[in-house]
Amino acid sequence: MLEFDGLRKSYGTNLVLDDVSFAVAPGQMYGFCGANGAGKTTTMRIALGLARADAGQVRWAGRTVDLEVRRRIGYMPEERGLYPKMPAAEQLEYFARLHGMNAAAAKKSAAELLDGMGLGERSKDALEKLSLGNQQRVQLAAALVSNPDVLILDEPFSGLDPTGVDALAGNLAERRSRGVPVLFSSHQLDLVERLCDAVGILAGGKMVASGTVDQLREREADRQLRVVIPGCDGGWARELDFAHVASDRDGEVLLQLDDPSRDQDVLSAAMAAGSVAQFGWRQPTLVEIFREAVAA
Amino acid sequence: MTSSRIVGLIARREIRTRLKDKGFIASSIFIIVLIMGSVVFQVLIQSGASNVSVGVVGGPQKLSSAITEQAAVFGLDASVTEYDDEADARQAVESEEIDAAVIDGESVVVNESLDDSLGAAIFGAVNGLVLAERLADAGVEPDILAPVSLDVSALQPAADEADEKGLVAFISILLLYTLLIFFGQFIAQGVVEEKASRVIEVLLAAVKPWQLLAGKIIGLGVLAFAQLVIIFAAGLGGASAFDVITVPGAAIATVVQVLGWFILGFTLVAALFAVCGALVSRQEDLQSVLLPMTLILVAALVLAITAGQNPTGTLAKVTSFIPVLSTMVMPVRVSTGSVAWWEIALSVVAMLVAIAATVRVGGRVYSGALLGKGGRVKMKDALATERVS
Repeated sequence: MLEFDGLRKSYGTNLVLDDVSFAVAPGQMYGFCGANGAGKTTTMRIALGLARADAGQVRWAGRTVDLEVRRRIGYMPEERGLYPKMPAAEQLEYFARLHGMNAAAAKKSAAELLDGMGLGERSKDALEKLSLGNQQRVQLAAALVSNPDVLILDEPFSGLDPTGVDALAGNLAERRSRGVPVLFSSHQLDLVERLCDAVGILAGGKMVASGTVDQLREREADRQLRVVIPGCDGGWARELDFAHVASDRDGEVLLQLDDPSRDQDVLSAAMAAGSVAQFGWRQPTLVEIFREAVAA
Repeated sequence: MTSSRIVGLIARREIRTRLKDKGFIASSIFIIVLIMGSVVFQVLIQSGASNVSVGVVGGPQKLSSAITEQAAVFGLDASVTEYDDEADARQAVESEEIDAAVIDGESVVVNESLDDSLGAAIFGAVNGLVLAERLADAGVEPDILAPVSLDVSALQPAADEADEKGLVAFISILLLYTLLIFFGQFIAQGVVEEKASRVIEVLLAAVKPWQLLAGKIIGLGVLAFAQLVIIFAAGLGGASAFDVITVPGAAIATVVQVLGWFILGFTLVAALFAVCGALVSRQEDLQSVLLPMTLILVAALVLAITAGQNPTGTLAKVTSFIPVLSTMVMPVRVSTGSVAWWEIALSVVAMLVAIAATVRVGGRVYSGALLGKGGRVKMKDALATERVS
């Protein structure tokens, strides 16, 4: 378990993190969301020892994260950075060795990763000669090359085309299946919703929501019941005294119930009004959850 | 994983990267050629003074070989050409093919004036031969003229040796200065490169700032030291082959001493350059932060040259204890004057203390400044930013 426990950090009078706590389980993909400046990068940099928390700590497997533990973490910083003039393969081997691998294992791991990313033939080229997309691939490879126990990736998907996103997602899923906890931040909420087992939402330095996507959905106060009766006006719904209509358009009605357990009464009323094509609780998207959490 | 292994990995990367860098190799070769050139220049100046050529027309038999022998006594390397006719000999003097022409063992023709040593050699040679002839005519065996060999014991040995030591020390100091500036620049550039490319963020997630600093200093230090040894080996070899120096023992002692000071000086200067480099984020801003350091090194060079002229002066004495300056001043003092052992020890200790302090404070500045983003970091802010270790 990768635990962030009560992190607090301020720069001067500016409070950046205010008691941030959450945990990422082994084999879990955790999406870290929040507006720009919410404190995501600061949280991650504290875990990597690149910034110092005023209070709180980060633990991995019950142990406070120190340099030894950090060598087992794969990290991709928000601001990408590798040696521009150093060949890709040599570079990856170097980072693998700094993380404790021996020369042979480092060479093998670097070659496998580059081959897997379709960069096998470019492995001897200086990094600056690769396209930006390929440079980003090498950057990810640098985080993965030492076979880390934990992955912390800051905006790994930004700047990738859809093919690149799929390839990266596949890579991360593979690590997750080996029991590696994966923490990544992203602005692309649809992506987070699609990929992640759990989500944390940071707003103004506070953790305003954290849990699995389903848990967050259940927490959602304003759940809506969606009923579609093609060609039928929503007048039938407005007559219900235990529900009020949130939207009524082209036969699609969204209702909020005072008592959610009376959803079957709504169905009866709908069936009386016409031929029901669709009926069910509407799943709020992560975007909606995010908006509500941030607004709260 | 041990610190020494990490530092070793970092040092190895520095060495490999530099050896593949064409700019580094080209500048290294340039420095070696420059130093070799100055040695060759010394050779030419010195050999120009001791090589003479003499023309001989007529005169006693064996005059040519006698002149060569006598010239050798005065430390001259004479090449003698025999001419059949006086006009040819005069012509050769006029066109400066030869320094002097000896006519019939009676007169000497020169262009402007006769060099004292050469004059004495010619005079001695002619006199000796004429005297031998006269003695033979008088029935005396010429053996009577066989020279008596004398044992020489020096009470105050080796003024020459001190000169040679001084010369070697001067060239060494110049070399030291060039290499310190050269490698200091490379260290600072390497630091800025890591900062500008942001690779520093990935590095410092896995290694401590002091390990990175130490790895860089050791890596480039090995290259600098190797370069210095190559130059010294070629320089000493060349110089003794051309007889610029005749006492390799003394020169080697000076070289070993300079190498020792180089190790201390390089460590300190490299650490200072690295810390300066960490304060900026772009190569364009580098020169302005390096300027103070460069000026200190220039001052050290000037002080070392001054110390060579007046090794016992107060200025030389004081500056030979101040770290950085001492790197260049102390070797000059040691080679040109007599320095007490405790003075050397004190200077070395001061240097070690300065290195320890720089690495300690520098490590903090380094980590604080490295992680700062954009623009130029003030020393104060860099010190204030502490890192979890």
